[in-house]
Amino acid sequence: MGQYLPVVCLMILAILFGVVSFVASRLLAPRRPSAAKQAPYECGIVPGRELPERFPVSFYIVAMLFVMFDIEIIFIYPYAVSRQELGSFGFWEMIAFTAVFFAAFVYVVARGALDWGPVHKYRRLDSAVSAERTLSSTIRRVGTEGRLDEKAA
Amino acid sequence: MLDLVWLIPALPLAGFLIILVLGRRLGEPRSGYLATLMTGTAFVVTVGVFIDLLSKTTEERAHIKTIFTWLPVGNLKVDLAFLADPLSITMALFVTGIGSLIHLYSIGYMHGDPKFSKFFLYLNLFVFSMLMLVLGENMLVTFLGWEGVGTCSYLLISFWHTRESAATAGKKAFVTNRVGDWGFMVAMFFTFQAVGSLSYAPLNEAARSGSIAQSTATVIALMLFVGAVGKSAQLPLYLWLPDAMEGPTPVSALIHAATMVTAGVYLMVRTSPVLAIAAWHWAPWIVAGIGAATALYAATIAVAQNDIKKVLAYSTVSQLGYMFLAVGSGAYVAAIFHMITHAFFKALLFLGSGSVIHGMNGEQDMRKMGALRKLMPITGFTFIIGWLAIAGVPPFAGFWSKDEILLFAWDKSPILWGVGLVTALLTAYYMTRQVIMVFYGKARWDDHAAEHGAHGDTHPHESPWTMVTPLVVLAGLSVVGGAIQLPFSATTKRLESWLEPVIATSERPLKSGSEDIKWVLAGIAVLIGVAGIAGAYVVYSKKKVKAIEPAVLANAWYYDKTVSDFMGGPGRKSFEFIAWFDQRIIDGAVNGAGRMVQGAAGVVRKGQSGLVRTYAALIGLGAVLLIAWFVFRGVAQ
Amino acid sequence: MIVAAGTFTAPSIDWFALAPLLVLLVGGLVLLVTASFTPQWPKHLYAYATVALGLAAMVVAFVQWHAITRDGPKLLVGNAVSYDHFSMFGIITICIGLSLSAMVTDDFLRREGMEGPEIYGLYLMAAVGGIVMVMSNDLIVLFLGLETLSISLYVLAASNRRRAESQEAGIKYFVLGGFSSAFFLYGIALIYGGTGSTNFNRILTAFDSVPLQRKDSLVLVGVALLLVGLGFKVSAAPFHFWAPDVYQGSPTPVTAFMASVGKAAAFAALFRVFVVALPNWKDDWRPVVWVLAILTLLVGSISAVVQTNVKRMLAYSSISHAGFILIGLEAAGHSGASTRSGMPSSMMYLMIYSVLVIGTFAVVAVVGRTGDGATDLGSFRGLSRQKPWLATALTVFLLAQAGVPLTSGFIAKFGVIEAAVDEHSYALATIAMVSAVIGAFLYLRILISVWLADAEVGDEKREAMHIPISTGAAILLCVGFTIYVGVNPEWLIQASDRVVLVAVPVVGG
Repeated sequence: MGQYLPVVCLMILAILFGVVSFVASRLLAPRRPSAAKQAPYECGIVPGRELPERFPVSFYIVAMLFVMFDIEIIFIYPYAVSRQELGSFGFWEMIAFTAVFFAAFVYVVARGALDWGPVHKYRRLDSAVSAERTLSSTIRRVGTEGRLDEKAA
Repeated sequence: MLDLVWLIPALPLAGFLIILVLGRRLGEPRSGYLATLMTGTAFVVTVGVFIDLLSKTTEERAHIKTIFTWLPVGNLKVDLAFLADPLSITMALFVTGIGSLIHLYSIGYMHGDPKFSKFFLYLNLFVFSMLMLVLGENMLVTFLGWEGVGTCSYLLISFWHTRESAATAGKKAFVTNRVGDWGFMVAMFFTFQAVGSLSYAPLNEAARSGSIAQSTATVIALMLFVGAVGKSAQLPLYLWLPDAMEGPTPVSALIHAATMVTAGVYLMVRTSPVLAIAAWHWAPWIVAGIGAATALYAATIAVAQNDIKKVLAYSTVSQLGYMFLAVGSGAYVAAIFHMITHAFFKALLFLGSGSVIHGMNGEQDMRKMGALRKLMPITGFTFIIGWLAIAGVPPFAGFWSKDEILLFAWDKSPILWGVGLVTALLTAYYMTRQVIMVFYGKARWDDHAAEHGAHGDTHPHESPWTMVTPLVVLAGLSVVGGAIQLPFSATTKRLESWLEPVIATSERPLKSGSEDIKWVLAGIAVLIGVAGIAGAYVVYSKKKVKAIEPAVLANAWYYDKTVSDFMGGPGRKSFEFIAWFDQRIIDGAVNGAGRMVQGAAGVVRKGQSGLVRTYAALIGLGAVLLIAWFVFRGVAQ
Repeated sequence: MIVAAGTFTAPSIDWFALAPLLVLLVGGLVLLVTASFTPQWPKHLYAYATVALGLAAMVVAFVQWHAITRDGPKLLVGNAVSYDHFSMFGIITICIGLSLSAMVTDDFLRREGMEGPEIYGLYLMAAVGGIVMVMSNDLIVLFLGLETLSISLYVLAASNRRRAESQEAGIKYFVLGGFSSAFFLYGIALIYGGTGSTNFNRILTAFDSVPLQRKDSLVLVGVALLLVGLGFKVSAAPFHFWAPDVYQGSPTPVTAFMASVGKAAAFAALFRVFVVALPNWKDDWRPVVWVLAILTLLVGSISAVVQTNVKRMLAYSSISHAGFILIGLEAAGHSGASTRSGMPSSMMYLMIYSVLVIGTFAVVAVVGRTGDGATDLGSFRGLSRQKPWLATALTVFLLAQAGVPLTSGFIAKFGVIEAAVDEHSYALATIAMVSAVIGAFLYLRILISVWLADAEVGDEKREAMHIPISTGAAILLCVGFTIYVGVNPEWLIQASDRVVLVAVPVVGG
């Protein structure tokens, strides 16, 4: 148990810190709400549209790619450290891993994930999505407003 | 010729396949003739095999024709093989013989039906399955046929499925039959467990030599009996047979009187050493008891039925009970004998009733008939022969077989004999009642002409030749059918010596006392039969005595109603409860929530997330239970 | 843990032994990349490529089967992967499922106007995951395969973007699948904690190497959690809740793939873990499997009776089939793996069922018509009049699923029930028979609609059914297999009898 003591201490401290800050701000901060304060913060500019705002899916794809590369780094970094010991076996393993990874990346790029130009490369999704829910399903589709605009355009 | 035994089932199968492919192109009446031809040819082949078998010595009268080895699993080897021995060929003879006659009859009966060729499609499939059942060399082949006849029966009962009652009746037949199938399956696995084979020969051999444990043999015998009770409509599973009358009348004659329902009896005879020798001595008593009870019970119900086919249906149940009484009394020859004569006269009666229904434009209520003898002379004449046969009037076929069963019943116990005798009395009574109501007395169809609406001008007429010919043939057989087993001397007991290789060891020898008074017993049986006829004559023709037809009998002792009330009430509830879980909670995801969507959108989101949560919660609950068990195992060391 | 310098030795890898896996893996990657550059190529090329890859892997597996018969089984890649008859039988089952599903999918995609090659890529990846599970000899490797398979299946379930049901199925499967994977992973951790290894051989011999009690709660809870995780994947009650929703919502060919490849792989893994690694705890887990089998049989057959959607009915029927296979596991839990009966009959059951279920769902896919929505019982009414051959094929499949003699389904059911009887599990065998009896009602209900009922009013206004060539070919193959095995099962029974699972001795310590 002794070896886990620092971890436990850290955990307790972290929880304490969270709780204390929360309670402290409740107790100490003055509360004078106004309309401006309750509006969503947009760099000091008065928001132009109703929320929820819809972000283009490309952002998510970029974020996913980011995660993918993260994983690659996580994998490569330890290899780099113990490259000597792992020898040629490790080298070929990394080649194989990178090749598979690269294939996936090629696929993603080839399907137009990084194309930021006009919408011509996007697949039209109008037929796939409607704003109404159907009776046969309970999936609520959110954020279709932008697409409706697109259809109108 | 013996090697051609595989042709017997193959021919109806070929007919089935041809009609399946070309049915619509053949159309009416060609597909009917084709089906009849196939069954008829099968009959000819059966006769050939029969003659070939006759020419052999008694010991050689069992020929196994293996088509191929089907299941070679370790020490278990099952062949797709046919067994040609006296018993199976006897069965095959009357299945194909009566089958062909009924096929011919159906051509006339089903005339103009939009599903004409489909009817013959099923009919041929049925004959094929039935032949697999009787010719199978092992339980698995028999089981194949057993399932097949069940399915065909279901399909044919629901043939006019647009009628709600027909669909329900079909369902009922299916459900009750499955209980029987379960019994058969269990028996099969026990047999395999006990003798390491599914063939009849080793099973019977082991039973004769006593190498099966008594307990195992009893379980096998009783489970087979459960199967037989389901298939042959005995108490308490008889319910489906009266309802099965919703099917076309030729189906009732073929499946629900002559062949399929006797499959249970056949099975018991086929495995007779297990019940008679290897099982505990009380096991045959159960069979005999249920048989006798069913015989009496169904006969009382038949007394008060007004539907021409329902009377015959209950009568069939009753006569099947007779056969089981014979099996339980160790009278295996008599059981088969009665099966054959019953097939003749009951098929005749059913076909006759079909002819009447045909002539009356679909009317089945006997109260609206009467005096049809003049208008339908051939039908009337043959029906009367059938009546005399079933009522046990000598020298018609029914007398001889019934007499032999009663003799053995007397030998087993006078109580069984008494029950059989009362049943015989009732049988004679209700059949006379039926004949009088339909063919004699005052013509009553005009009284109800108004009710008939469109075809108000009912004018009963004789049926076409395709329908009448089978009637005449069957009537002939009902007259002389008893000749195959006459009790005068050993040489006139032809059926007994023919079946000897199959059942010699299991047939119970009569006590000498019974043998001596057998003519006295026969005399009593005749008197009883005549008394029944006279009684009905007095009640229904002379109208001297008021008919006793209490509602309790007309409603079959309310047994059916009780069962369906239970199944519709608590039974169904408990059945649905298990489904409820998935219905409400699981099904809710798609259907239930879908329904809620129509109501309020806000509820949906809650419902939706709640539902996936429910799944997870239930899985979690299962996991907790599992963990609890394992922790318990850990703690309980 | 960082490998201390100098102690690392590279595992030798027998590349030929891994060939089926590599064929599908490399093939899948190449297919994906090629497809993304050649959008103008006809879509069915990808389907043919998938079928060809599946067949190639199967041929390799056949060759290896004979090699194993000759040289005996062995362990590969640092004892993490086992190379034995069981693996090959599983791989062949998976490849059959893959190829047949791809054949059905091809026409389906064109009819539904769905995107092309990704589905095949996912099929191939799922198959790779399945093969890893079948071959695994280490819990971590098993988990790797499990996740590869599952993640592919999640995406596949949601692959029809035009149908909300499909997305719903994907999400549900994903959430619940993740939930159950967590159980499984936790189970691995506990087993590792208790026995000091994730390797099956080491777990088996843990009694010798570490001071371990059989009643060590840590391991026992680990066993429970593994059973939960795998029980979910094979849709054993009470972990079956996802199955009806997901089977119903997924695109029909994907459902077929899920029910064949997914189920086969998960069951193979279940056998690997419990029979190879955990036989020392068999007295603890066998009663649980007994209960699960009975629950699964009853829930599957009884709930199916009240359904009205054919896909949903088949989902419940698939649950009840899982119950039958669990009977095989229970039997194997009595005698251990070496006797014939439990193990071989279950593996045979899986192969037979895979073919059956793909055939059945192929017919459902055709009847479902454009939109994949016409799968309620009413849509099957009068099928015999419109498409008699299709109706006949469906009849064969359903009769086989009901276990009628002379079809492959009978051989399968007979095998497991016989195994149970051999082990004197009479109660289980009896309940199995009862549930087979109840279950038959479900199949008969569909058959009644197909053969006896007239078409629904307004059916003639609906689009005519169309049986495309490759789907037709797949159905024909399935019918052929079903009847051929039903009539002549000897070769399959003999082949499956070789599938006895024992821990292969560790090579080189």
